[in-house]
Amino acid sequence: MSTSTATSARAREPFDRRLARGVQTVTGRPLAPYQSAIVRIGFSLTWLLFLLRELPHRHQLYGPDGPWSWELAQRLIADNRAFTVLLWSDGRIWFEVVYGLAVVSAALLLVGWRTRAVSVVFMVGVLSLLNRSVFVGDGGDNVLHIVSIYLVFTRCGRVWSLDARRAAREDRAARAGEPARRDVVGPLLWVVLGGFLLAATWFSDVSGEWWVPVLLWVLWLGNGLWWLVCRIAPGEPRTLLDVLANLAHNAVLVVIMAEVCLIYATAGWYKIQGSRWQEGTALFYPLHLDYFSPWPALSELLGASGVMVMLLSYGTVIVQVAFPFTLFNRRVKNVLLVAMMLEHAGIAVLLGLPVFSLAMISADAVFLPTAFLVWLGARVAAGRDRLLGRAPAGTLPEQRRTAEEHGPRTLVG
Amino acid sequence: MDAYVEKDAVEMSDDGRRPPEDPPVAPVGSEGTGTAPGAGIMALSLPYQVVAAVALAAVGVFACVHLAMVFLHVAPSNTLTKRHGEAVSDWIYPEFEQNWKLFAPNPLQANISVEVRAELAGADGGRRTTGWIDLTAQDIAAIRHNPMPSHAQQNQLRRAVDFYLNTHTDDNRPNGSRGAFAEQYIRRIAMFRLETLRGPEGRTLGPDVRRIQLRTVSRTVPAARWSTEKTRTTPSYRDLPWWTVTRADRPADAVTSRTEAGR
Repeated sequence: MSTSTATSARAREPFDRRLARGVQTVTGRPLAPYQSAIVRIGFSLTWLLFLLRELPHRHQLYGPDGPWSWELAQRLIADNRAFTVLLWSDGRIWFEVVYGLAVVSAALLLVGWRTRAVSVVFMVGVLSLLNRSVFVGDGGDNVLHIVSIYLVFTRCGRVWSLDARRAAREDRAARAGEPARRDVVGPLLWVVLGGFLLAATWFSDVSGEWWVPVLLWVLWLGNGLWWLVCRIAPGEPRTLLDVLANLAHNAVLVVIMAEVCLIYATAGWYKIQGSRWQEGTALFYPLHLDYFSPWPALSELLGASGVMVMLLSYGTVIVQVAFPFTLFNRRVKNVLLVAMMLEHAGIAVLLGLPVFSLAMISADAVFLPTAFLVWLGARVAAGRDRLLGRAPAGTLPEQRRTAEEHGPRTLVG
Repeated sequence: MDAYVEKDAVEMSDDGRRPPEDPPVAPVGSEGTGTAPGAGIMALSLPYQVVAAVALAAVGVFACVHLAMVFLHVAPSNTLTKRHGEAVSDWIYPEFEQNWKLFAPNPLQANISVEVRAELAGADGGRRTTGWIDLTAQDIAAIRHNPMPSHAQQNQLRRAVDFYLNTHTDDNRPNGSRGAFAEQYIRRIAMFRLETLRGPEGRTLGPDVRRIQLRTVSRTVPAARWSTEKTRTTPSYRDLPWWTVTRADRPADAVTSRTEAGR
């Protein structure tokens, strides 16, 4: 009720005023901080679990002597111009270093340590490994590949991160009148990454499309500029940089949401054209493909009832096709979101695709309501405190929430 | 008219029927928390506002173009992609390539196995041929009751065969520039697997392999009990040619160890 009156009041507001308010909203702050954080956590966890799981198979999948050999990769990439640092050297040590850095970057992104810089390393790791061997991937790798690029543009460490904890600590110190501590790690990280970047530029004839090194340079210089501006011109230049960062974050967040919608729309609309989906038997087949039935007895059980198979097949298509349209209604959207996450959880077990499923659930999470995420965060924090036997720390998530609870009720919020 | 609207809106938020829709512009904290004091485009003076506005326009246009390109990339072939397909591909490939036709339009309805047999050089200089070795069965055995199957078992061989079949004609001639890659890849996978297999005497087969042949066996998923459909239950075979194994087909370890042994 209150929402509808508010909407009508807003509708009667003059257009220029609404426009101004809209512009202020997208430039004033990074929207959906909890959603971008959960996407960050979800995808970094997916990648981390994947890398750890493939540790024993890493040479076979991505190593210089694997079946998709370094020479084969080099010949293919000369043709498709994909970005990978693994082609810089065919040495085994270089491979181990890159794989190790990919693991470390995934873990650091998960906890949100120096989020922006680490997200760039994360992207480089993801692109390097996945582009190195494109023929071992599946849909999960595909979505991870794309989202890792998008994440670089977001301010996804505003909550639930070590960065947020550090910011809150500095905040408290500043309010208590303590002098600001000098940050050494940041500039050091910047210098180290700059060295890598120089190397990347040096090797750029084998590093893929021109825009990847350009993007890396822009990010690196931008971070340097940010640091400099914070020190010498904390006034308007600083605000302008903030505005630019917010703009990129908000635009890319929309892109990620649209991307998720396109995934479901494509998956759904192409299914409608298939005779097996039309007659409602489609689900029976993946359940009986040897590659996708780790638990044959379970698959057999589910496939035993024709009506069950039809209901699930139809349900899948309906949910996938409908999802983008339900974004206009919060309640229906949330119901479908739960349905899709449950379906992916089912796929994880039944079809033996846990990495794919976790990646898709992470992508879906961008549409979770803020209230739920805040509740989830509080529960996790409480659980952690109980586990560690700590007194509940009234630290940052609670403090930061105040600004967010009054956020506009958008598609995600 | 305008004044009336304004008053109305103000009243509504005053008597609390409307939850505050926007974050308070008042300071909540400094950097990092919500809307910092004097954040956003409103906090800037005109020259900076111009820069911000230009950035806003650029970011907006860029995001829209990108989404349009992704849309055209995942959409079926249409008037626009027939005319501007090149531009879409240039934008999308290689980093934003995507395919979401998951089990669509129809799911695969057959189990395709890959089998290999090898011609071995005996100690007496004669040749003998092994029976067919089911490589896919090795994958399936590893996937069974495994909550987290590896890409090495679930995707590598499966997708390599797919790649080969897609880049070759029915009489095994490459139909494009990628055919040679696919052949080399599948030969290396076969040798990778054979290297670890042991013959009857307990010796590894790998070093003795001179030639290999692969075939695919396609078994249609039998119709469900509740279905009235009749499916063909006999498997169909497709033989790939015999290939003479070269140094490039063998895993690097095997090559080095053999060169050392030869010295």
